[in-house]
Amino acid sequence: MPSSVIVYSPDEIRGRIISKTLQVKGIKNLLFTSHFEAEEAINKRPPPVIILDTKKNLASELNFLKTLSNNLLKTTLIVLSNPSDVPVLEEMGIDMVLCIPDPFDPELIFLKARDALAREFSMKSFARVLKQAVLRASRFFFRSLRIIIILAIGLAGGYIYWCISTLPKIGVLDNYSPYEASRVYSYDNKLLTEFYVERRTFIPHEKIPKHVIKAFLAVEDKRFYRHHGVDFIRIISALIKNIRERGFVQGGSTITQQLAKMLFLKPEKTITRKIKEIVLSIQIEGKYTKDEILGLYLNQAYFGTRAYGIEAASQAYFGKSTADINISEAALLAALPKAPSKYSPFKDPKGAFRRRNHVLKRMLVTGFISKKEYKKSLTEPIPDRFHGRKYKAPYFVDYCRTILEDKYGDRLYTSGLKIYTTLDYRMQRIAENAIKNGIKDLQKRGITGVQAALLAIDPKTGWIKAMVGGTNFWDSQFNRVTQAERQPGSAFKPIVYLTALNNGFKPDSTIRDKMFTYVLTNEEGTWTPQNYHDVYRGVVTLKTALALSLNAATVDLAKKVKIKNIIKTAKLVGIKSSIHPFYPSALGASEMTLMEIVYAYAALAYGSRVGPMCIDRIIDREQLALVGPSGTKERVINKKALTGIRQMLRAVILQGTARKARVINRKVYGKTGTTNDYADAWFIGFDDKMVAGVWVGRDGRAPIGENETGARVALPIWIEFMKNL
Amino acid sequence: MGIKDLFKSGPSVEVMGDRDIDVPAEPINENQKIVDRLMPSRKKEETRSIKGPIGIDIGTVNIVVAQSRGKDIKAVRQLNAFFTIPYSNITRKTLSRDEIMFFEKNEKLYILGYSAEEFASTFGGDTRKPVESGLLNPKERESISVIKALISRFIREPVKNNEKICFSVPGEPIDRPASVIFHESIIKMHLKSLGYYPIAINEGMAVILSELTGNNFTGIGISMGGGMCNVCLSYLSVPVVTYSIQKGGDYIDKMVGSSVGEMAAKVKAVKEDGFDLSIEPRDRIEIGLHIFYDDLFSTLAQSLQQVLGSSDNIPRFSKPLPIVLSGGTVMPRGCKEKFEKALTEVRLPVTISEILVAEKPLFATAKGALTMAITEDSEI
Repeated sequence: MPSSVIVYSPDEIRGRIISKTLQVKGIKNLLFTSHFEAEEAINKRPPPVIILDTKKNLASELNFLKTLSNNLLKTTLIVLSNPSDVPVLEEMGIDMVLCIPDPFDPELIFLKARDALAREFSMKSFARVLKQAVLRASRFFFRSLRIIIILAIGLAGGYIYWCISTLPKIGVLDNYSPYEASRVYSYDNKLLTEFYVERRTFIPHEKIPKHVIKAFLAVEDKRFYRHHGVDFIRIISALIKNIRERGFVQGGSTITQQLAKMLFLKPEKTITRKIKEIVLSIQIEGKYTKDEILGLYLNQAYFGTRAYGIEAASQAYFGKSTADINISEAALLAALPKAPSKYSPFKDPKGAFRRRNHVLKRMLVTGFISKKEYKKSLTEPIPDRFHGRKYKAPYFVDYCRTILEDKYGDRLYTSGLKIYTTLDYRMQRIAENAIKNGIKDLQKRGITGVQAALLAIDPKTGWIKAMVGGTNFWDSQFNRVTQAERQPGSAFKPIVYLTALNNGFKPDSTIRDKMFTYVLTNEEGTWTPQNYHDVYRGVVTLKTALALSLNAATVDLAKKVKIKNIIKTAKLVGIKSSIHPFYPSALGASEMTLMEIVYAYAALAYGSRVGPMCIDRIIDREQLALVGPSGTKERVINKKALTGIRQMLRAVILQGTARKARVINRKVYGKTGTTNDYADAWFIGFDDKMVAGVWVGRDGRAPIGENETGARVALPIWIEFMKNL
Repeated sequence: MGIKDLFKSGPSVEVMGDRDIDVPAEPINENQKIVDRLMPSRKKEETRSIKGPIGIDIGTVNIVVAQSRGKDIKAVRQLNAFFTIPYSNITRKTLSRDEIMFFEKNEKLYILGYSAEEFASTFGGDTRKPVESGLLNPKERESISVIKALISRFIREPVKNNEKICFSVPGEPIDRPASVIFHESIIKMHLKSLGYYPIAINEGMAVILSELTGNNFTGIGISMGGGMCNVCLSYLSVPVVTYSIQKGGDYIDKMVGSSVGEMAAKVKAVKEDGFDLSIEPRDRIEIGLHIFYDDLFSTLAQSLQQVLGSSDNIPRFSKPLPIVLSGGTVMPRGCKEKFEKALTEVRLPVTISEILVAEKPLFATAKGALTMAITEDSEI
């Protein structure tokens, strides 16, 4: 049996991976790594599908690609490329649905190839049978007319048998399961977004309102309930018109034929395809009820703007479900499948308006709507904006997407999963507002171009309750909670003090707050840590030193407890970034993410280390739970040390650098942080239920502004968030 | 040279004999007791009927040959070492009589395999190695002759011409300028001259073929031998990334030895005598072993981060990957946990589902090579 796919990749490893994936999943294929051999094989026997890998060197493949796309009209060409080459391919007219840019995803390539093959409905076997039969018949013809008649009857029977025997091909509709978008919900059941490849949400035919169905019937197939898959009256009228115009200008396809075409055939205008379409339509009509066929058609049709299926289209154009759209809206949707791009209300509002009115007219003429309904519908406006492209809690959603992609791969986009996250959307809104107001305050002081991030978690479970990764996701998708590695400054100090408590110190133990010069072991030179106001208090307690964020005292303490022990404590409370084994690390010179430090504070709050959790549970299409709540928790701080560190972090609020937070009417704890030149401002704190951290700074690490400390910039955002919970 | 040579060291020379095991073939019976023992003489006849493809693992310390025997896999291990003694007629006759593996060259007798170890200890010297750090030893002038002799005396003659034999080769080292081409070509030429159809397989890949059947041969295979660690990331049996680092069990022995002032051989003996990495060390040598095992696993984890992170051929995996460890260096208990710990210190571009240790670490590479040879044989 010949191979149905030819894979050409100059990169042998990539080629072998694709070839093996297809082979393992039952698709026969031939792999070529040389241009010449690939071309020879394709010319010898053009396969239904060619996978062409242009990643290594698009420039040298351009001619080959052009030749293939121009000459092999019956072959589906799947092109793999570098993401940066996509515009070039688009310009060349390569079908973007079949263009797969890196990251290299063999499963996705397989899915595309499988879909392309599924559309391939070969009539070759039929042609062969027919040819042989005709030859045999002509031989018999000269012997006896009687035999010819018998043979003709036999052939007709054979043909009917052949048609029936190919019925299983449409049997796939029994298990019709289109790619369905996965939906992501917050913990309080707010739909945050959908993950989809093709934006498709399946809706059973019985849930589609009557006026929607009527709109489609009026414009696509008014005799739908009367014919058996093929409307001969329509075909004849279309044929006459085509002959008159000397070409294919009009089709006489019924809805069943269109369904057959969408599911099994290529969109080409040839007589062969028409014959296939008719045969398949009769088969479909014989197997399914009219309502089932309509349901399949409406769920399969393409409506433009990446919306496949009526439900996705209703959401995309009107922001509501199919069940809620009115007659006018239904008419617009019915207008679209014929030419989704041409009649798009976003591209050509006037054309869309005219086409919608044409549909309404057809509905009136066929008696599907009253004159009153018609007139009212004519006055309705058409949509002017696309709904739902943006989504809620975008930084959080993207964070979840990355984690889920690793686990579920393509299933995430195609399997209609319901993903319940840990996010509390009410808190998320408060967090987003707090960030917005914080940035506004900065703007009032003449400071612009500053970014801010906030992360709030439940320290007992590790659940992420709110995440804001920047001031505007749609401008910058860089997540400053999880991706930005910044110096935490004094926000790191509690880890130094916790190390001291673990090594026999108490909050009332004393240390020296004195200017002292240290010889750095890692490089030539010395280092003299200075206090913020250049004031040194001599002997101070640990509690005072942390409350007032005294640098000199902290380094003195770091020297006593040893930097290696501080690093050990940091790892223990969950810091994963490397901490440099030098004294400046005690003052937060080693970079880490906001997420790391917030989870470290979760340990300081409750004594246990928890890991980030963003998914509560996942439910699949069959309502089965795929993932239930899980998470690890490990006790890492003993009771005595925990009491001590909480006492000290409370002192920061009561007597220290975060006195502003006293406005919150409950016990809160925390620590400010500011780095050199005011490049980063932090506040990380907690109450009995929540740990929240705020970072403010610029992506380029330039200063925020003179004297813009953690207490002045980050703390107000934190206070607003915690106050409004 | 005939099939008899495969098991030349019979019970009469038991100390120097081949180490012979019976490993059940498809499916490998996990519960079967595998005994690393001498070949009882009555089994000789039985094994003569073995034919078909061969898998051979040519390591720094051992050479292991694997072959199918009905439902089982027969694996035989021999020390990859030699020892020279001056030529004399009497000695040569004695060696022949005692069925000791040897060959003569330049007025010298080259004793091979375990026998070399025995001779070395009798004469108070050290065995020499034809393979060092996974590749033919450039410091040994006769390394090619020795490896050829070892292979020739260790495998049977092919029953028919062009019989498939698959031999393991290391990945390109990333930490030292060395090439595997010379090593691979020499062995390939020799096997060809014996009448075989030789196929080379990366050591890490062989481990995957042996151990990751249930995972569609997708995952990371690491063979930790005496001279080096070989790594392969495979996707559906396609080796996507292969490389090696030239640190292995010998490195641990040497470093521990020089740190605590003991002979590397003594350290090796401690390591191979039930040493357990999962319990606290009891003396200086054990402390050293803990430290240098940590060092080796850390180097390995970092190399994974570096190599996988810089490869642009790694496909998107639909599920996390297992890592399987194999080779003599992972024989002590606790290796898996040590490596797990080392992996937490790095960030890999792929997610790891679990770390496994090969059921029979010493024989996994040969078994994988045999799988490859059988596959190639059935494809013709």
